[in-house]
Amino acid sequence: MKPTSLERVGQWLIVLILTMLCLSILYPFLYMLAISLNTGADAAKGGVYLWPRSFTWFNYQVVLGNEVIRNAYKITIARTVLGTFGGLAVTLMAAYGLSYKLLPFRNSILTYILITMLFNGGLIPFYIQLYKLGLTNTFLVYIIPSLFSVWNMFVMQKFIQGIPEAMIESAELDGAGPFRILLQIIVPLSKPMLAALGLFTAVGHWNDWFAGAFYVTNQQLIPVQTFLQQLLTAQDLSSVLSSNENQEVLREQSMSNITLMSIKMATVMISALPILAVYPFLQKYFVKGVLIGSVKG
Amino acid sequence: MFFKMYKYRWQYLMVLPAIVLLFLFNYIPMAGIQIAFKDFAIGSSIWDSNWIGLDNFSFVHDPQFWVVVQNTLSISVLKFVFGFPMPILLALMINEVTHSIFKRFVQSVSYLPHFFSWIVVAYILQSFLTLDGGIVNDIIGNLGGKPIFFLGSTDWFRPMIIASSLWKEVGWNTILYLAAISTIDPQLYEAAKVEGAGKLAQIRHITLPGILPTISIVLILSIPGLINVGMDQIYPLMNSANQQVADVIDTYVLRNGLQQGYFGMATAVGLVSSLIGLILVVTTNAISKKINEEGLW
Repeated sequence: MKPTSLERVGQWLIVLILTMLCLSILYPFLYMLAISLNTGADAAKGGVYLWPRSFTWFNYQVVLGNEVIRNAYKITIARTVLGTFGGLAVTLMAAYGLSYKLLPFRNSILTYILITMLFNGGLIPFYIQLYKLGLTNTFLVYIIPSLFSVWNMFVMQKFIQGIPEAMIESAELDGAGPFRILLQIIVPLSKPMLAALGLFTAVGHWNDWFAGAFYVTNQQLIPVQTFLQQLLTAQDLSSVLSSNENQEVLREQSMSNITLMSIKMATVMISALPILAVYPFLQKYFVKGVLIGSVKG
Repeated sequence: MFFKMYKYRWQYLMVLPAIVLLFLFNYIPMAGIQIAFKDFAIGSSIWDSNWIGLDNFSFVHDPQFWVVVQNTLSISVLKFVFGFPMPILLALMINEVTHSIFKRFVQSVSYLPHFFSWIVVAYILQSFLTLDGGIVNDIIGNLGGKPIFFLGSTDWFRPMIIASSLWKEVGWNTILYLAAISTIDPQLYEAAKVEGAGKLAQIRHITLPGILPTISIVLILSIPGLINVGMDQIYPLMNSANQQVADVIDTYVLRNGLQQGYFGMATAVGLVSSLIGLILVVTTNAISKKINEEGLW
Protein backbone atom coordinates (compact mmCIF):
# COMPACT_ATOMS: atom_id res chain seq x y z
CA MET A 1 0.00 0.00 0.00
CA LYS A 2 1.34 3.41 -0.87
CA PRO A 3 1.65 5.96 1.90
CA THR A 4 -1.01 8.63 1.70
CA SER A 5 0.12 12.19 1.13
CA LEU A 6 -0.79 13.00 4.71
CA GLU A 7 1.54 10.27 5.91
CA ARG A 8 4.31 11.60 3.73
CA VAL A 9 3.89 15.01 5.31
CA GLY A 10 4.02 13.30 8.69
CA GLN A 11 7.27 11.57 7.73
CA TRP A 12 8.89 14.87 6.79
CA LEU A 13 7.60 16.48 9.94
CA ILE A 14 9.20 13.74 12.03
CA VAL A 15 12.51 14.09 10.18
CA LEU A 16 12.37 17.83 10.75
CA ILE A 17 11.67 17.50 14.48
CA LEU A 18 14.40 14.91 14.96
CA THR A 19 16.90 16.99 13.02
CA MET A 20 16.13 19.94 15.24
CA LEU A 21 16.57 17.79 18.32
CA CYS A 22 20.00 16.67 17.11
CA LEU A 23 20.99 20.25 16.33
CA SER A 24 19.89 21.39 19.77
CA ILE A 25 22.23 18.80 21.25
CA LEU A 26 25.25 19.26 19.00
CA TYR A 27 25.09 23.01 18.53
CA PRO A 28 25.89 24.00 22.16
CA PHE A 29 29.21 22.19 21.94
CA LEU A 30 30.07 23.89 18.66
CA TYR A 31 29.08 27.23 20.17
CA MET A 32 31.17 26.72 23.29
CA LEU A 33 34.08 25.54 21.16
CA ALA A 34 33.86 28.68 19.00
CA ILE A 35 33.84 30.96 22.03
CA SER A 36 36.70 29.10 23.68
CA LEU A 37 38.80 29.61 20.52
CA ASN A 38 37.96 33.30 20.26
CA THR A 39 39.64 36.15 22.09
CA GLY A 40 37.53 36.97 25.11
CA ALA A 41 36.95 40.66 24.62
CA ASP A 42 35.81 40.10 21.06
CA ALA A 43 33.43 37.28 21.98
CA ALA A 44 31.77 39.45 24.60
CA LYS A 45 30.55 41.74 21.83
CA GLY A 46 28.37 38.89 20.65
CA GLY A 47 28.01 37.43 17.19
CA VAL A 48 30.37 34.46 17.62
CA TYR A 49 27.95 31.66 16.88
CA LEU A 50 29.60 29.03 14.73
CA TRP A 51 33.31 29.62 14.41
CA PRO A 52 35.81 31.91 16.08
CA ARG A 53 36.00 35.42 14.63
CA SER A 54 39.28 36.32 16.25
CA PHE A 55 41.01 32.98 16.60
CA THR A 56 43.35 32.20 19.49
CA TRP A 57 44.68 29.23 21.47
CA PHE A 58 45.26 31.59 24.29
CA ASN A 59 42.32 30.52 26.49
CA TYR A 60 43.46 26.92 26.36
CA GLN A 61 47.04 27.89 27.13
CA VAL A 62 45.85 29.74 30.23
CA VAL A 63 43.63 26.90 31.37
CA LEU A 64 46.22 24.20 30.79
CA GLY A 65 48.85 26.30 32.47
CA ASN A 66 46.92 26.31 35.70
CA GLU A 67 48.27 23.91 38.26
CA VAL A 68 44.99 23.32 40.06
CA ILE A 69 43.28 22.26 36.83
CA ARG A 70 46.04 19.90 35.81
CA ASN A 71 46.02 18.45 39.27
CA ALA A 72 42.23 18.15 39.17
CA TYR A 73 42.62 16.16 35.98
CA LYS A 74 44.93 13.70 37.70
CA ILE A 75 42.47 13.35 40.56
CA THR A 76 39.59 12.72 38.18
CA ILE A 77 41.51 10.09 36.21
CA ALA A 78 42.77 8.39 39.36
CA ARG A 79 39.36 8.21 40.99
CA THR A 80 37.70 7.04 37.79
CA VAL A 81 40.16 4.18 37.29
CA LEU A 82 40.40 3.10 40.93
CA GLY A 83 36.73 3.64 41.66
CA THR A 84 35.61 1.69 38.61
CA PHE A 85 37.86 -1.35 38.99
CA GLY A 86 37.59 -1.42 42.77
CA GLY A 87 33.84 -1.01 42.58
CA LEU A 88 33.41 -3.78 40.03
CA ALA A 89 35.62 -6.11 42.07
CA VAL A 90 33.84 -5.57 45.40
CA THR A 91 30.38 -5.72 43.85
CA LEU A 92 31.07 -8.74 41.66
CA MET A 93 32.53 -10.67 44.60
CA ALA A 94 29.41 -10.01 46.65
CA ALA A 95 27.13 -10.91 43.75
CA TYR A 96 28.98 -14.15 43.11
CA GLY A 97 29.27 -15.12 46.77
CA LEU A 98 25.54 -14.64 47.20
CA SER A 99 24.74 -16.62 44.06
CA TYR A 100 25.30 -19.81 46.12
CA LYS A 101 21.71 -20.65 46.97
CA LEU A 102 22.72 -22.96 49.85
CA LEU A 103 24.84 -20.36 51.60
CA PRO A 104 23.69 -20.25 55.24
CA PHE A 105 22.11 -16.88 56.16
CA ARG A 106 21.92 -15.97 52.46
CA ASN A 107 18.44 -14.48 52.85
CA SER A 108 19.41 -12.53 55.94
CA ILE A 109 22.34 -11.00 54.08
CA LEU A 110 20.14 -10.15 51.09
CA THR A 111 17.64 -8.45 53.38
CA TYR A 112 20.48 -6.56 55.07
CA ILE A 113 21.51 -5.32 51.62
CA LEU A 114 17.99 -4.55 50.44
CA ILE A 115 17.14 -2.40 53.46
CA THR A 116 19.80 0.11 52.41
CA MET A 117 17.89 0.66 49.16
CA LEU A 118 14.72 1.59 51.02
CA PHE A 119 15.96 3.88 53.71
CA ASN A 120 19.01 5.98 54.45
CA GLY A 121 20.27 8.24 57.17
CA GLY A 122 20.43 11.26 54.93
CA LEU A 123 23.26 13.56 54.03
CA ILE A 124 24.24 14.89 57.46
CA PRO A 125 24.72 11.60 59.37
CA PHE A 126 26.57 10.30 56.30
CA TYR A 127 28.85 13.31 56.35
CA ILE A 128 29.46 12.94 60.09
CA GLN A 129 30.41 9.31 59.52
CA LEU A 130 32.90 10.31 56.80
CA TYR A 131 34.32 12.82 59.22
CA LYS A 132 34.58 10.32 62.09
CA LEU A 133 36.34 7.82 59.84
CA GLY A 134 38.84 10.49 58.84
CA LEU A 135 37.80 10.29 55.19
CA THR A 136 36.91 13.94 54.73
CA ASN A 137 39.66 15.82 52.96
CA THR A 138 41.32 12.66 51.68
CA PHE A 139 41.42 11.16 48.21
CA LEU A 140 39.82 7.97 49.52
CA VAL A 141 36.51 9.75 50.15
CA TYR A 142 35.95 9.46 46.37
CA ILE A 143 36.62 5.72 46.34
CA ILE A 144 35.67 3.86 49.50
CA PRO A 145 32.08 4.94 50.24
CA SER A 146 30.92 4.11 46.70
CA LEU A 147 32.82 0.83 46.22
CA PHE A 148 29.78 -1.34 46.71
CA SER A 149 26.73 -0.68 44.56
CA VAL A 150 23.55 -2.50 45.56
CA TRP A 151 21.91 -1.84 42.24
CA ASN A 152 24.87 -3.18 40.26
CA MET A 153 24.99 -6.21 42.51
CA PHE A 154 21.41 -7.14 41.63
CA VAL A 155 22.12 -6.71 37.92
CA MET A 156 25.21 -8.90 38.26
CA GLN A 157 23.30 -11.56 40.19
CA LYS A 158 20.71 -11.70 37.46
CA PHE A 159 23.46 -12.16 34.90
CA ILE A 160 25.33 -14.80 36.92
CA GLN A 161 22.13 -16.81 37.26
CA GLY A 162 22.16 -17.18 33.49
CA ILE A 163 25.55 -18.92 33.50
CA PRO A 164 25.02 -22.71 33.19
CA GLU A 165 25.54 -24.34 36.57
CA ALA A 166 27.15 -27.35 34.90
CA MET A 167 30.20 -25.21 34.04
CA ILE A 168 30.66 -24.20 37.64
CA GLU A 169 30.06 -27.72 38.94
CA SER A 170 32.60 -29.27 36.61
CA ALA A 171 35.18 -26.69 37.67
CA GLU A 172 34.42 -27.54 41.29
CA LEU A 173 34.97 -31.21 40.54
CA ASP A 174 38.36 -30.29 39.14
CA GLY A 175 39.14 -28.82 42.52
CA ALA A 176 38.81 -25.13 41.70
CA GLY A 177 37.91 -22.91 44.65
CA PRO A 178 35.34 -20.11 44.52
CA PHE A 179 37.94 -17.44 43.83
CA ARG A 180 39.36 -19.37 40.89
CA ILE A 181 35.90 -20.02 39.51
CA LEU A 182 35.14 -16.33 39.84
CA LEU A 183 38.30 -15.31 37.99
CA GLN A 184 38.43 -18.01 35.35
CA ILE A 185 34.78 -18.69 34.59
CA ILE A 186 32.51 -15.94 35.86
CA VAL A 187 34.62 -12.94 34.85
CA PRO A 188 35.31 -14.08 31.25
CA LEU A 189 31.66 -14.97 30.72
CA SER A 190 30.43 -11.70 32.21
CA LYS A 191 32.59 -9.42 30.08
CA PRO A 192 29.77 -7.59 28.26
CA MET A 193 27.92 -7.03 31.53
CA LEU A 194 31.08 -5.91 33.33
CA ALA A 195 31.95 -3.57 30.47
CA ALA A 196 28.52 -1.95 30.60
CA LEU A 197 28.39 -1.58 34.38
CA GLY A 198 32.02 -0.47 34.43
CA LEU A 199 31.30 2.27 31.92
CA PHE A 200 28.36 3.57 33.94
CA THR A 201 30.46 3.57 37.08
CA ALA A 202 33.26 5.37 35.25
CA VAL A 203 30.92 8.05 33.91
CA GLY A 204 29.53 8.51 37.42
CA HIS A 205 33.03 9.09 38.79
CA TRP A 206 34.03 11.35 35.93
CA ASN A 207 30.95 13.53 36.37
CA ASP A 208 30.72 13.71 40.14
CA TRP A 209 31.29 17.18 41.55
CA PHE A 210 29.45 16.81 44.83
CA ALA A 211 32.02 14.86 46.84
CA GLY A 212 34.78 17.25 45.82
CA ALA A 213 32.66 20.27 46.73
CA PHE A 214 31.46 19.18 50.17
CA TYR A 215 33.69 16.43 51.55
CA VAL A 216 36.97 18.04 50.58
CA THR A 217 38.38 21.50 51.23
CA ASN A 218 41.95 21.00 50.03
CA GLN A 219 42.15 22.45 46.49
CA GLN A 220 44.84 19.91 45.64
CA LEU A 221 42.24 17.15 45.97
CA ILE A 222 39.33 18.46 43.93
CA PRO A 223 38.35 16.73 40.67
CA VAL A 224 37.73 18.56 37.39
CA GLN A 225 33.96 18.74 37.85
CA THR A 226 34.33 20.40 41.23
CA PHE A 227 36.76 22.89 39.76
CA LEU A 228 34.18 23.63 37.07
CA GLN A 229 31.50 24.03 39.69
CA GLN A 230 33.62 26.57 41.56
CA LEU A 231 34.48 28.42 38.37
CA LEU A 232 30.82 28.54 37.32
CA THR A 233 29.99 31.02 40.05
CA ALA A 234 33.40 32.71 40.21
CA GLN A 235 33.34 36.49 40.03
CA ASP A 236 36.83 36.86 38.63
CA LEU A 237 39.67 34.85 37.15
CA SER A 238 41.89 34.67 40.23
CA SER A 239 41.43 30.91 40.58
CA VAL A 240 42.69 30.33 37.05
CA LEU A 241 45.39 32.98 36.89
CA SER A 242 47.05 32.21 40.20
CA SER A 243 49.64 29.42 40.25
CA ASN A 244 49.70 29.52 36.47
CA GLU A 245 52.76 28.16 34.69
CA ASN A 246 52.18 30.06 31.49
CA GLN A 247 53.09 33.45 32.95
CA GLU A 248 54.93 34.30 29.71
CA VAL A 249 51.78 33.90 27.67
CA LEU A 250 49.88 35.90 30.22
CA ARG A 251 52.37 38.76 29.88
CA GLU A 252 52.23 38.72 26.09
CA GLN A 253 48.49 39.13 25.94
CA SER A 254 46.85 42.17 27.35
CA MET A 255 44.67 41.24 30.31
CA SER A 256 41.68 42.94 28.75
CA ASN A 257 41.63 40.15 26.20
CA ILE A 258 40.86 37.48 28.77
CA THR A 259 37.30 37.23 29.91
CA LEU A 260 35.77 34.97 32.47
CA MET A 261 33.41 33.55 29.86
CA SER A 262 36.08 32.55 27.35
CA ILE A 263 38.20 30.92 30.06
CA LYS A 264 35.12 29.10 31.32
CA MET A 265 34.33 27.80 27.86
CA ALA A 266 37.88 26.53 27.38
CA THR A 267 37.75 24.76 30.75
CA VAL A 268 34.41 23.12 30.11
CA MET A 269 35.48 22.00 26.64
CA ILE A 270 38.57 20.36 28.11
CA SER A 271 36.34 18.41 30.49
CA ALA A 272 33.81 17.49 27.80
CA LEU A 273 36.21 16.50 25.01
CA PRO A 274 37.23 13.10 26.45
CA ILE A 275 33.60 12.06 26.66
CA LEU A 276 32.84 13.36 23.17
CA ALA A 277 35.89 11.47 21.89
CA VAL A 278 35.15 8.04 23.36
CA TYR A 279 31.36 8.17 23.17
CA PRO A 280 30.92 7.00 19.54
CA PHE A 281 32.96 3.88 20.26
CA LEU A 282 31.37 2.96 23.55
CA GLN A 283 27.76 3.86 22.83
CA LYS A 284 26.61 0.30 22.13
CA TYR A 285 27.88 -0.91 25.52
CA PHE A 286 25.85 1.74 27.29
CA VAL A 287 22.68 0.74 25.50
CA LYS A 288 23.37 -2.91 26.28
CA GLY A 289 23.91 -1.94 29.91
CA VAL A 290 20.51 -0.30 30.17
CA LEU A 291 18.85 -3.36 28.71
CA ILE A 292 20.70 -5.76 31.04
CA GLY A 293 19.70 -3.61 34.00
CA SER A 294 16.09 -3.42 32.96
CA VAL A 295 15.57 -7.19 33.12
CA LYS A 296 14.01 -7.39 36.51
CA GLY A 297 15.91 -9.44 39.07
CA MET B 1 25.59 -25.42 61.10
CA PHE B 2 29.07 -24.28 61.90
CA PHE B 3 30.50 -26.95 59.65
CA LYS B 4 28.25 -25.82 56.84
CA MET B 5 29.32 -22.22 57.33
CA TYR B 6 32.95 -23.27 57.33
CA LYS B 7 32.38 -24.99 54.01
CA TYR B 8 31.30 -21.63 52.58
CA ARG B 9 34.10 -19.62 54.21
CA TRP B 10 35.41 -18.29 50.89
CA GLN B 11 31.95 -17.16 49.83
CA TYR B 12 31.59 -15.30 53.11
CA LEU B 13 34.96 -13.70 52.54
CA MET B 14 33.72 -12.47 49.14
CA VAL B 15 30.60 -10.92 50.60
CA LEU B 16 32.40 -9.47 53.61
CA PRO B 17 33.66 -6.22 52.04
CA ALA B 18 30.13 -5.37 50.89
CA ILE B 19 28.71 -6.08 54.35
CA VAL B 20 31.35 -3.95 56.05
CA LEU B 21 30.90 -1.07 53.58
CA LEU B 22 27.13 -1.06 54.03
CA PHE B 23 27.58 -1.13 57.78
CA LEU B 24 29.98 1.81 57.73
CA PHE B 25 28.25 3.99 55.16
CA ASN B 26 24.59 3.04 55.45
CA TYR B 27 23.83 1.52 58.85
CA ILE B 28 25.94 3.77 61.06
CA PRO B 29 24.44 6.86 59.36
CA MET B 30 20.99 5.37 60.01
CA ALA B 31 21.89 5.17 63.70
CA GLY B 32 23.17 8.72 63.35
CA ILE B 33 19.62 9.89 62.72
CA GLN B 34 19.36 10.21 66.50
CA ILE B 35 21.09 13.58 66.20
CA ALA B 36 17.77 14.82 64.84
CA PHE B 37 16.64 14.57 68.48
CA LYS B 38 19.90 15.67 70.08
CA ASP B 39 21.98 18.74 70.67
CA PHE B 40 24.94 17.73 68.55
CA ALA B 41 28.01 19.68 67.47
CA ILE B 42 30.65 18.29 65.15
CA GLY B 43 33.66 17.07 67.10
CA SER B 44 31.54 15.73 69.96
CA SER B 45 30.21 12.20 70.17
CA ILE B 46 26.77 11.44 68.77
CA TRP B 47 26.01 9.03 71.59
CA ASP B 48 27.02 11.42 74.41
CA SER B 49 25.09 14.42 73.12
CA ASN B 50 22.01 15.45 75.10
CA TRP B 51 18.53 14.50 74.05
CA ILE B 52 16.49 17.60 73.33
CA GLY B 53 13.23 16.09 72.15
CA LEU B 54 11.72 17.72 69.09
CA ASP B 55 13.56 21.03 69.31
CA ASN B 56 15.33 20.33 66.01
CA PHE B 57 11.97 20.03 64.31
CA SER B 58 11.25 23.71 64.88
CA PHE B 59 11.99 24.18 61.17
CA VAL B 60 8.26 23.70 60.64
CA HIS B 61 7.90 27.25 61.93
CA ASP B 62 10.44 28.53 59.41
CA PRO B 63 8.52 30.12 56.50
CA GLN B 64 11.44 29.32 54.20
CA PHE B 65 10.91 25.61 54.91
CA TRP B 66 7.40 25.73 53.45
CA VAL B 67 8.65 27.66 50.44
CA VAL B 68 11.18 24.86 50.01
CA VAL B 69 8.49 22.17 50.22
CA GLN B 70 6.41 24.01 47.66
CA ASN B 71 9.38 24.41 45.31
CA THR B 72 10.25 20.74 45.65
CA LEU B 73 6.71 19.69 44.80
CA SER B 74 6.38 22.08 41.85
CA ILE B 75 9.67 21.08 40.26
CA SER B 76 8.99 17.42 40.86
CA VAL B 77 5.49 17.54 39.35
CA LEU B 78 6.61 19.64 36.38
CA LYS B 79 9.52 17.31 35.68
CA PHE B 80 7.18 14.36 35.75
CA VAL B 81 4.51 15.96 33.55
CA PHE B 82 7.07 16.69 30.82
CA GLY B 83 9.69 14.07 31.49
CA PHE B 84 7.37 11.07 31.46
CA PRO B 85 5.44 11.38 28.15
CA MET B 86 8.16 13.00 26.02
CA PRO B 87 10.42 9.93 25.75
CA ILE B 88 7.42 7.84 24.64
CA LEU B 89 6.59 10.40 21.96
CA LEU B 90 10.22 10.58 20.85
CA ALA B 91 10.50 6.78 20.71
CA LEU B 92 7.40 6.62 18.51
CA MET B 93 8.89 9.24 16.20
CA ILE B 94 12.28 7.53 16.01
CA ASN B 95 10.49 4.28 15.23
CA GLU B 96 8.76 5.87 12.22
CA VAL B 97 12.08 6.83 10.62
CA THR B 98 12.64 4.56 7.64
CA HIS B 99 16.17 5.66 6.77
CA SER B 100 18.33 3.42 8.97
CA ILE B 101 21.48 5.59 9.02
CA PHE B 102 19.51 8.68 9.99
CA LYS B 103 17.71 6.64 12.64
CA ARG B 104 20.94 5.44 14.20
CA PHE B 105 22.39 8.93 14.05
CA VAL B 106 19.38 10.39 15.86
CA GLN B 107 19.62 7.70 18.53
CA SER B 108 23.36 8.23 19.09
CA VAL B 109 23.06 11.99 19.27
CA SER B 110 20.02 12.00 21.53
CA TYR B 111 21.70 9.69 24.08
CA LEU B 112 24.77 11.89 24.21
CA PRO B 113 23.74 14.57 26.77
CA HIS B 114 23.07 11.85 29.34
CA PHE B 115 26.84 11.46 29.70
CA PHE B 116 27.59 15.04 30.60
CA SER B 117 27.42 16.28 34.14
CA TRP B 118 24.88 18.83 35.28
CA ILE B 119 27.79 21.20 35.69
CA VAL B 120 28.44 21.04 31.96
CA VAL B 121 24.73 21.65 31.36
CA ALA B 122 24.92 24.69 33.62
CA TYR B 123 27.82 26.02 31.53
CA ILE B 124 25.83 25.54 28.35
CA LEU B 125 22.94 27.48 29.84
CA GLN B 126 25.28 30.20 31.04
CA SER B 127 27.00 30.57 27.69
CA PHE B 128 23.68 30.79 25.84
CA LEU B 129 21.89 33.05 28.27
CA THR B 130 24.59 35.42 29.47
CA LEU B 131 24.12 39.15 28.95
CA ASP B 132 27.66 39.51 27.54
CA GLY B 133 27.41 38.16 24.03
CA GLY B 134 25.18 35.17 24.74
CA ILE B 135 23.36 34.04 21.64
CA VAL B 136 19.85 34.17 23.11
CA ASN B 137 20.09 37.76 24.27
CA ASP B 138 21.76 38.64 20.97
CA ILE B 139 18.74 37.36 19.12
CA ILE B 140 16.34 39.11 21.49
CA GLY B 141 18.31 42.31 20.95
CA ASN B 142 18.22 41.94 17.16
CA LEU B 143 14.49 41.49 17.30
CA GLY B 144 14.27 44.73 19.19
CA GLY B 145 13.58 43.26 22.61
CA LYS B 146 15.19 44.00 25.93
CA PRO B 147 17.86 41.58 27.15
CA ILE B 148 16.65 39.20 29.85
CA PHE B 149 18.80 38.11 32.79
CA PHE B 150 17.60 34.52 32.63
CA LEU B 151 20.08 33.12 35.15
CA GLY B 152 18.96 35.44 37.91
CA SER B 153 15.26 35.44 37.19
CA THR B 154 12.58 33.86 39.34
CA ASP B 155 10.27 33.53 36.32
CA TRP B 156 12.77 31.70 34.15
CA PHE B 157 14.25 29.34 36.70
CA ARG B 158 11.68 26.56 36.42
CA PRO B 159 11.43 26.61 32.61
CA MET B 160 15.23 26.44 32.57
CA ILE B 161 15.30 23.43 34.91
CA ILE B 162 12.56 21.56 33.06
CA ALA B 163 13.95 22.29 29.59
CA SER B 164 17.50 21.33 30.51
CA SER B 165 16.45 18.11 32.18
CA LEU B 166 14.39 17.20 29.11
CA TRP B 167 17.33 18.05 26.87
CA LYS B 168 19.64 15.87 28.94
CA GLU B 169 17.48 12.79 29.46
CA VAL B 170 14.72 12.57 26.84
CA GLY B 171 16.81 10.63 24.34
CA TRP B 172 18.32 8.33 26.91
CA ASN B 173 14.90 7.47 28.29
CA THR B 174 13.72 6.24 24.89
CA ILE B 175 16.04 3.21 25.06
CA LEU B 176 13.62 0.98 26.97
CA TYR B 177 10.69 1.97 24.76
CA LEU B 178 12.64 1.39 21.55
CA ALA B 179 13.70 -2.01 22.84
CA ALA B 180 10.08 -2.82 23.62
CA ILE B 181 8.93 -1.64 20.18
CA SER B 182 11.54 -3.85 18.51
CA THR B 183 10.00 -6.94 20.13
CA ILE B 184 6.58 -6.30 18.56
CA ASP B 185 5.77 -8.92 15.92
CA PRO B 186 6.09 -7.27 12.44
CA GLN B 187 3.28 -9.52 11.19
CA LEU B 188 0.86 -7.48 13.26
CA TYR B 189 1.73 -4.41 11.19
CA GLU B 190 1.47 -6.37 7.95
CA ALA B 191 -1.98 -7.60 8.94
CA ALA B 192 -3.04 -4.08 9.89
CA LYS B 193 -1.86 -2.73 6.53
CA VAL B 194 -3.88 -5.38 4.71
CA GLU B 195 -6.88 -4.26 6.72
CA GLY B 196 -6.18 -0.75 5.49
CA ALA B 197 -5.07 0.75 8.79
CA GLY B 198 -3.10 3.98 8.44
CA LYS B 199 0.04 4.89 10.36
CA LEU B 200 -1.77 6.56 13.23
CA ALA B 201 -4.12 3.63 13.60
CA GLN B 202 -1.16 1.26 13.65
CA ILE B 203 0.50 3.28 16.40
CA ARG B 204 -2.69 3.40 18.41
CA HIS B 205 -3.68 -0.24 18.04
CA ILE B 206 -0.33 -2.03 17.79
CA THR B 207 2.67 0.01 18.95
CA LEU B 208 1.14 1.63 22.02
CA PRO B 209 -0.46 -1.56 23.36
CA GLY B 210 2.85 -3.31 22.63
CA ILE B 211 4.84 -0.98 24.86
CA LEU B 212 2.15 -0.54 27.49
CA PRO B 213 3.84 -2.94 29.96
CA THR B 214 7.07 -0.95 29.63
CA ILE B 215 5.20 2.31 30.09
CA SER B 216 3.57 1.03 33.25
CA ILE B 217 6.87 -0.23 34.69
CA VAL B 218 8.62 3.07 33.97
CA LEU B 219 5.67 4.93 35.46
CA ILE B 220 5.74 2.85 38.63
CA LEU B 221 9.50 3.07 39.00
CA SER B 222 9.41 6.85 38.69
CA ILE B 223 7.27 7.20 41.82
CA PRO B 224 10.09 6.83 44.38
CA GLY B 225 12.08 9.49 42.52
CA LEU B 226 9.38 12.11 43.03
CA ILE B 227 10.90 13.26 46.32
CA ASN B 228 14.30 13.50 44.68
CA VAL B 229 14.22 16.57 42.46
CA GLY B 230 17.86 16.50 41.38
CA MET B 231 20.03 18.64 43.56
CA ASP B 232 22.92 17.97 41.20
CA GLN B 233 21.08 19.99 38.62
CA ILE B 234 19.58 22.70 40.82
CA TYR B 235 22.50 23.59 43.08
CA PRO B 236 24.83 24.87 40.33
CA LEU B 237 22.09 27.12 38.90
CA MET B 238 20.86 28.49 42.21
CA ASN B 239 21.91 31.97 43.25
CA SER B 240 20.70 34.68 45.59
CA ALA B 241 18.52 36.17 42.85
CA ASN B 242 16.50 33.03 42.15
CA GLN B 243 16.71 31.28 45.51
CA GLN B 244 13.05 31.91 46.35
CA VAL B 245 12.00 29.52 43.56
CA ALA B 246 15.13 27.37 43.36
CA ASP B 247 15.55 26.28 46.95
CA VAL B 248 14.47 22.64 47.40
CA ILE B 249 14.62 20.23 50.34
CA ASP B 250 18.05 18.90 49.42
CA THR B 251 19.63 22.34 49.03
CA TYR B 252 17.96 23.43 52.28
CA VAL B 253 19.55 20.49 54.11
CA LEU B 254 22.88 21.18 52.48
CA ARG B 255 22.90 24.86 53.38
CA ASN B 256 21.70 24.53 56.94
CA GLY B 257 23.71 21.40 57.68
CA LEU B 258 27.03 21.37 55.88
CA GLN B 259 27.40 25.09 55.29
CA GLN B 260 25.97 26.59 58.47
CA GLY B 261 26.49 23.74 60.90
CA TYR B 262 22.92 23.17 62.12
CA PHE B 263 23.45 19.43 62.05
CA GLY B 264 20.52 18.47 64.26
CA MET B 265 18.00 20.51 62.33
CA ALA B 266 19.32 19.45 58.91
CA THR B 267 19.22 15.79 59.97
CA ALA B 268 15.63 16.26 61.10
CA VAL B 269 14.67 17.64 57.68
CA GLY B 270 16.56 14.79 56.04
CA LEU B 271 14.70 12.29 58.21
CA VAL B 272 11.33 13.62 57.10
CA SER B 273 12.43 13.43 53.48
CA SER B 274 13.78 9.86 53.92
CA LEU B 275 10.50 8.79 55.50
CA ILE B 276 8.51 10.23 52.59
CA GLY B 277 10.88 8.37 50.27
CA LEU B 278 10.26 5.15 52.18
CA ILE B 279 6.49 5.60 51.96
CA LEU B 280 6.78 6.20 48.21
CA VAL B 281 8.86 3.06 47.69
CA VAL B 282 6.53 0.89 49.76
CA THR B 283 3.52 2.30 47.89
CA THR B 284 5.27 1.67 44.60
CA ASN B 285 5.94 -1.90 45.60
CA ALA B 286 2.30 -2.44 46.51
CA ILE B 287 1.12 -0.98 43.19
CA SER B 288 3.66 -3.03 41.29
CA LYS B 289 2.49 -6.21 43.02
CA LYS B 290 -1.08 -5.48 42.10
CA ILE B 291 -0.47 -4.58 38.46
CA ASN B 292 2.46 -6.74 37.45
CA GLU B 293 1.83 -9.47 40.01
CA GLU B 294 5.45 -8.95 40.98
CA GLY B 295 6.88 -6.64 43.59
CA LEU B 296 10.07 -4.65 43.36
CA TRP B 297 11.77 -7.14 45.65
